[in-house]
Amino acid sequence: MTAGEGQSAVAMKKESLSPAPARSRAAGMEKVERRSSFARQPSLRLLLAERSEEVLPILLDEIVRMGYPRAFIASSNFESGQIAVSAEVNCPANYIKRFSTFLWSGDDPLVGVLHKGEPAVLPHAALNRRALYAHPLIFRNRTRCWEAERSRQSDCLAVLNDRSVRRMALQEQTCTACEMRGYAYVVGVDLPKTTTERQLNELRSIIELSNRYLSRLFKVEHYYNRMRDMDVVIAQMETVLASMADPVILTDPQHRVITQNKAAERFFSIPDNASEGAQRALELNNLLFSAALSSMAMSGTDSSRDLTLVDAKEGEEVLFEAVTAPTYSREGLRTGLVTVMRDVTDLRKADQEVRQNLEKLMQAEEIVRQDRDRMSLVIEAVGDPIIVADNAGKPVQFDSLAAQLFGKIGEDVRDQGRVRNLVKLSAYLTAFTFAFGQTEEGKLKLYHPPSDTHVEFNTRSGKILDARGQVSHTVTVLRDLSALRKVEELRVQARMLEMEKFAATGRLAGTIAHEVNNPMEAIKNSIHLLQNRVKPGAEPVYEILKSETDRVARIVRQMLGLYRSSSQVGGFDINRVVEDTLALFGRQLERAGVTTALDLGKIPPVVGSADQFRQILSNLVVNAKDAMAQLDAPNPIPNGESSVSDKKLRLYLRTRHLSGSATGRVVVTIADTGSGIPQNIRDSMFEPFVSSKGEKGTGLGLWIVRGITQSHGGKIRVRSQEGRGTVFQIYLPVVRS
Amino acid sequence: MADKQRSRVLVVDDERNVLLTYRMLLEQEGYDATASLTAKEAIRLLEKQQFDILLCDLSLEEKRTGFEVINAARERDADLPAVLLTGYASPEAAEYAKANDVAVLYKPIEIEEFLKTIATLLKENHA
Repeated sequence: MTAGEGQSAVAMKKESLSPAPARSRAAGMEKVERRSSFARQPSLRLLLAERSEEVLPILLDEIVRMGYPRAFIASSNFESGQIAVSAEVNCPANYIKRFSTFLWSGDDPLVGVLHKGEPAVLPHAALNRRALYAHPLIFRNRTRCWEAERSRQSDCLAVLNDRSVRRMALQEQTCTACEMRGYAYVVGVDLPKTTTERQLNELRSIIELSNRYLSRLFKVEHYYNRMRDMDVVIAQMETVLASMADPVILTDPQHRVITQNKAAERFFSIPDNASEGAQRALELNNLLFSAALSSMAMSGTDSSRDLTLVDAKEGEEVLFEAVTAPTYSREGLRTGLVTVMRDVTDLRKADQEVRQNLEKLMQAEEIVRQDRDRMSLVIEAVGDPIIVADNAGKPVQFDSLAAQLFGKIGEDVRDQGRVRNLVKLSAYLTAFTFAFGQTEEGKLKLYHPPSDTHVEFNTRSGKILDARGQVSHTVTVLRDLSALRKVEELRVQARMLEMEKFAATGRLAGTIAHEVNNPMEAIKNSIHLLQNRVKPGAEPVYEILKSETDRVARIVRQMLGLYRSSSQVGGFDINRVVEDTLALFGRQLERAGVTTALDLGKIPPVVGSADQFRQILSNLVVNAKDAMAQLDAPNPIPNGESSVSDKKLRLYLRTRHLSGSATGRVVVTIADTGSGIPQNIRDSMFEPFVSSKGEKGTGLGLWIVRGITQSHGGKIRVRSQEGRGTVFQIYLPVVRS
Repeated sequence: MADKQRSRVLVVDDERNVLLTYRMLLEQEGYDATASLTAKEAIRLLEKQQFDILLCDLSLEEKRTGFEVINAARERDADLPAVLLTGYASPEAAEYAKANDVAVLYKPIEIEEFLKTIATLLKENHA
C-alpha cells in the first residue's frame, strides 16, 4: 500500500489554485513571506513547503513571478493512464483542455517529454502559437532509498529514474525496495518570444530544484504513510494475539519477555496483589519457562517441549506443549523467539485413557488367548472325538480324534467312509442346532477308519449362546461305547487275574501242605503211640514234642483249606454263602452259648470265588466264636463271681448293597461281643502267623481273609475294643458279569 | 475190650508209615487190624475175609480212590461202616461221601476223634 497518491501533488485540487490566480498568488505569497524572510530568493522559498502538495503551487507562482505569462502542471495517473492539468496559473480553461491526454499517446509531444524524461521546447504548442517549455517531473534521487540501502539493493526507483540509462517505464513507477509509487508531472510554461537562453536555464534549474525537493518530501511522506500502515498492522496483530486463547510469548535473544498475550500473563505475570502461594507458583512457572526456552534454543530450529505450569487463579496444573519459532530481522539476524503454548492437558488425558484402554484390551486379549489355549489343551486331552460347529450346524473345529472320523476342517474329503460319517454328523448337528433343548444325548454309528469297523458312539451336545441368547456354536462330544465296554472287561479280567494269582498261591501252599500232611500224620500217630512209654524224666520233652506237632498240624490244616478253596470264579450269591456258613457253624456256636442275628439285604450277584468268600466268612466266624469263648472262660476272680457271666454273647451278620459308584459295593458286617483285638497286635494282625489265640491259633486266618478280599478288589474295615467286641466289615465291589 | 478184640478193622493207606501207625493205634486200642498199602490188595482181602469196619485213604495208587475200595466192600456187605481218611476232599467228593453214608475224617486227624468215630460206627452197626 503506498501512501503516495493520497497526499501526492497529483491529487492536488485544481480549484485550490485556479480561481483568481493573481489574488491567490498575492495571498499565497503573503502567507509564504510571512513564514520566512528566505522568500525573496525563489529557491529558498521552496524550502518553506513542508508538504509535497505545497511544492508545486510555489513553483508555479515563482515561474509567473519570473515574468512568464502562464504555467501549468499536468499530472499523470498511473492507474488510468490519463494525463491532465492539475494546477495552473493564468491558463484559460479551453487552453488547459489541450493537454488532456494519455500516457500511451506516443505522438503527443507532451507525452514524449514525459517518456524521454528530458525537458523540451515545443514550438507552437502554447497559447497564440507560442513555444511551450515542457519539463518532466519524475521521482528521482541520486542516492538509494533507506530500504534499498539496508537491503543492499541497487535498483531503487529514485536512483533508476535519476540515471537516464535505466529509467523505468512510467507504467512501472514503483520502487522495488520500498514499494513507493513514483509520480510523473509535466510542468508547462508559455515562452515569450523574447525568452533568452539564460532565462530558460534559470527556469530549468528552478524546476529541477523543485523536483528534488518534491522527491524528498514525497519520500518522507511515503515513510510516514508506511509507519501509519504498520501501526494498523501492529494493532491488528495485537488484537489477534490478545484474542488467542493459547499463551503466546515473544522473547528477545536473552529470553526476556518482549510481549505476551493475556493468556500468557495468566501464567507468567505476577500481579501486585498476588498471594504468597500464587506468587511462588508464578515464579516457578517463569523459571520452568526460561529453562524450557534455553533448552529449545540450544536445540536449534523449531522445537517443542512439554511443560507443566500452575494456573495460579484456579490452582490447577496445566500441561502445555510449548512450540517455539525464532524470529529474524531483515538482515537474517536472530531477534528472539515466539513461543506458542498449547494446553494439552485434556489431550494427554485422552491419550492416557486411550493407552489404558489399549492395555486393558491387550490384557483381555491375552486372557482370551490363554483360555483358548487351555481349551484346546482340554479338547485334545479329553480323548474323545469333539466337534465344534457354527450356528448353521457346519463343523468349524475337530480335535484330532474327530478328524480321524470326518477328515480335517476345510479338507476335501473323498473316501466313502468319511463322506458318510459327515452326512450323518451334518444331519445330527442340524437337528440339534435348531432343536429347542440346550443339550442333547444320542447315538451315532460311524465308520472308524483306523480300525476299519463301524463303531457306535454316544453323543453329548451342548449349545454356546452369544450375548443375545442366540446359538453361536455347538459342541458335541462323541464317546466310543465299545471302548468303555473294553475298559470294563479289562477291569474284570484284571480282577480275575488277581483272584487267580491268589488261588494259585493258595494251591501252592495247599500242595505243600498236602505233601507235608502224610509225614505229619505218621509223626503225630507215632507220638500218640509213645504215650505212657517214655522213660521217667523224659515227660516234659515228650509234651513239647506233642504240642509243637499239634501246632504244625493245625497250620497244615489251615493251608489245606487254601487248597480246597481254589475253585472256580463266577457270579455268586453272597447271602447264600453267609447262610450256608452260619448253618455249618450253627451247632458249634450254639454249644458256645452264642446267639446269632442275621440281617440280609438285597444284594446283586457278585463276581468272585464263592469258596474263597466262604473261607473269609468261616475264618471271621471262627475268630468271633473264639473271642467270645475267651470271655466265657472260667473267671479267676477270687470271690467266684463271674464278671462276664451275665454278658450276652452275640454274633451279628449283616449284608448290604451300597449304590454309591456306578455299580456300587457290597458290605458284609461280622460283629461279635468278644474279647476284642489286643492292642499289641492291631498293626500286625493281618500278617501271617500273628495270633492272639496262643497255641490254638495258626496266625493265618486274617492273613487269608485279607488276601482273598484284596484279590477281589475289596477292602476290610475293623473296629475293635478290648473286652467289648470287634466289628469286621468286608467291602466287595459289584462287578457285572 | 472184649468187643473190640473181635472187631476186625481193615485200614488202607498208600503211605507205608502212616499205615503202620494207624495199625498200631488200632491194635493198641484192641482192634483186630489188617493193613493194606493198595486198593488192589484191599479188594482182594475183602473178598477173602469179613471186616467190621473199613478205613480208607481217598487217594490211592494209580489214580485209584478209596471209594473204589468202599464200593467193592459194600457190594458184599452193604451195611459195612466206612470212613474216608483224607487231607483234602473236593466238594463233589464230600457230597458223594455224605450221600453214600461214608464218614469223612480230615488229616491230620485228631486221634481222639479218630478212635471215637470208629467206636461209634461199630456200635451203631451192632445195634
